Amino acid sequence: MTVPLEQPPVDLLLFEVGGRTFGVDASQVLRVDRPLPGAYALPGLGPLAEGGRALVFQAEEGEGQLRVDAVSGIRPVPADSLRRLPQVAATAGAYSIGVWLNGETPVLLLDLAEIEAFQRRHQTHGD
Amino acid sequence: MPLNSTPLKRALQAAPERSTGGKQIVEQEFFCFRLGDLRLGVSSEYVREVTRSGPLTPLPRMAAFVLGVFGHRGEVLPVLDLLRFLGKGESRMGARTRLFVGSVGSFTTAVIADGVIGLRKIASSDILPPPMGGDSSADHLIGVVTNSGLDGPLSLINFAKVMQTARQRVVSR
Repeated sequence: MTVPLEQPPVDLLLFEVGGRTFGVDASQVLRVDRPLPGAYALPGLGPLAEGGRALVFQAEEGEGQLRVDAVSGIRPVPADSLRRLPQVAATAGAYSIGVWLNGETPVLLLDLAEIEAFQRRHQTHGD
Repeated sequence: MPLNSTPLKRALQAAPERSTGGKQIVEQEFFCFRLGDLRLGVSSEYVREVTRSGPLTPLPRMAAFVLGVFGHRGEVLPVLDLLRFLGKGESRMGARTRLFVGSVGSFTTAVIADGVIGLRKIASSDILPPPMGGDSSADHLIGVVTNSGLDGPLSLINFAKVMQTARQRVVSR
């Protein structure tokens, strides 16, 4: 008889853009820093309020920086609180990879590598 | 029992006023709700439950009629605005806003309602065809009921077709 293994919790780095909370896999983030001139914003997340922080991650060429308003911290979440996006939300962008159900509040989860690929295709830069 | 009561008289007392002409009256049950100025109905076979609206998480790059996703009983459900979908305006979420959870096959979604009217049985003979030459919203109507007893006509939505079109519009973006 096999017993299903309980999946370990996943560390999410939570951050805010325009008053909304988003999450990424904490293992993708090298550090949180003040944004450099080349840091970009992702318009799909909504307008930045301040953009005073950047998530620094490993990009295809060097490091990439995603501009955010604030970083809430790292939180381990149970694997069973993670959900795939509903099929009708398929066009939310390749960088939207799922949802964390924080109680009944869905928190959109993003992938930094996909964000970088998206940026390279669209070549959008923040100020 | 009156002395002059006969089986025929007793049978006539129980008889309907009008003849059905031997035809069976076909009724369908619809879940009816208000949305903006509209009175809408969806076949109750598609409606799972009604719930209060909760925290809504917008998604990037979505069709305008998908307002976001909503967490309910451990599921993540897209939230549809039928006013935007039908091109009839834009819903405004408020304290009285409700969501009905609708399923067509394996696809489940939450749909905004400004208020719930309730379940109504409607005879097929009372359903008038959608207006010809109308706007594209008519493509997603089963028909219109003018004698529903409501304050205004009741438009019956072809929910299966709405879901099919919604998925096509989203994928084609």
